[in-house]
Amino acid sequence: MSSTANKSLLDVATQKLVESQVWRSIFRHGYPDTPLNQSLVMMGNVFLHLHPVKVSRQAMKVTYSWCLGGISFFLFLLLTVTGVFLMFYYIPSTDVAYQNITQLSSAVSFGNLVRNMHRWAAHLMVVSVTLHMIRVFYHGAYKPPREFNWVVGVGLFFVTLFLSFTGYLLPWDQIAIWAITVGTNLAPYTPLLGDTAYKILVGGGAVAQPTLIRFYVAHVILLPLAAALLMAVHFWRIRKDGGEAGPPPPARRELEAGVERPMVGVTR
Amino acid sequence: MSIEQKEPEVQTQTAATQRRYRTLAVVRQEAITRIEKPLEDSVFVWPHLLVREFFSATIVMVMVTLLSIAINAPLRAPANVNVTPNPAKAPWYFLGLQELLHYFPPTTAGVIGPGLVLVALAVLPYVDRNPSRAYADRKIAIVTFTMFVIFWAVITLAGSFFRGPGWLWVWPWQGLYFDL
Repeated sequence: MSSTANKSLLDVATQKLVESQVWRSIFRHGYPDTPLNQSLVMMGNVFLHLHPVKVSRQAMKVTYSWCLGGISFFLFLLLTVTGVFLMFYYIPSTDVAYQNITQLSSAVSFGNLVRNMHRWAAHLMVVSVTLHMIRVFYHGAYKPPREFNWVVGVGLFFVTLFLSFTGYLLPWDQIAIWAITVGTNLAPYTPLLGDTAYKILVGGGAVAQPTLIRFYVAHVILLPLAAALLMAVHFWRIRKDGGEAGPPPPARRELEAGVERPMVGVTR
Repeated sequence: MSIEQKEPEVQTQTAATQRRYRTLAVVRQEAITRIEKPLEDSVFVWPHLLVREFFSATIVMVMVTLLSIAINAPLRAPANVNVTPNPAKAPWYFLGLQELLHYFPPTTAGVIGPGLVLVALAVLPYVDRNPSRAYADRKIAIVTFTMFVIFWAVITLAGSFFRGPGWLWVWPWQGLYFDL
């Protein structure tokens, strides 16, 4: 493709496009196949700049992180998109909520599929967040300087559980109302607060319309906002605390025994 | 990096005294940009990390879609406060707690227990003062945590698949009382 005579129409069009003012106003770098452009693309793109320009080869391995944090975040995004779709068809009223779900499943294009995706992605997110936490524990990645990010992660775990729990009530079927009844029946046993805790949670003497609207608002606004806020801190802190921790180093005794291993992943 | 550094104009005596300074960068000792860090240990995020993220997201997306085509989300009869299902079960991730409720009073198993677990998890990095991250140096922490995870998995599985009407023990082949 060195001579202009050999260039196809597509090549010429591509070159014109890439050299146009519109393109260059959006992408202020060339295709990321040189170290300079690979750096510029990470620094100049608002979505990519969550990432550093370079990462440790060891910490990046799929068999190290199992992508669990990233998968949790992806499921959160998927749940947000499918959740907004469901909000178009759902009214949080005990009179019509159940009908909304049956209509959604039978009469709305892709309604059944999107509802299924929301349900299964929610369960998967509880699983992936739990596994992420277990993975981080075994790698000792909660140790200094990452102590506080672990605490933020515990907060995210709590928010994830309650996102799922509040969503459970919304279909207003027998599973929903009784699962939430069983769950919320524990609230009166809270020390000191007792019945007050139950009333704040349920909004009355039993799971009914006030509970539905409470859980709905928590599910679509309060908890997603809390999760987004905590995730912003969580991701920011990964960078500020020195990136992914990477595989644990060998033990002191192994080192003293003269086991020759490169000290990869050691940051301090 | 892309900006060509121009040779500064020759500065006069007065310009030099009036020179103003800008902060170009603050490089902290513990920052990832530390110069002692060996460069050969790291790779560019584009493409090496991004391609992994792209494929893991794609795999999850395909999995969720296939699962959603194959299995419908459950929907039972409309809510009826007068008809209590037996057993009435919490969502699956709380079934470990519900199983504990079978053995301990509600305040202990339902509120104080999970509250303590959550607090213990949150303060873990401040309680575990062992600085080493090597597995061999962390035997107590790893054994304790593993035992906790196994205990939690066992009571969750018991509450999910081995409990039937009246919260009596039921083998899975005798009947499943489990909704997702």
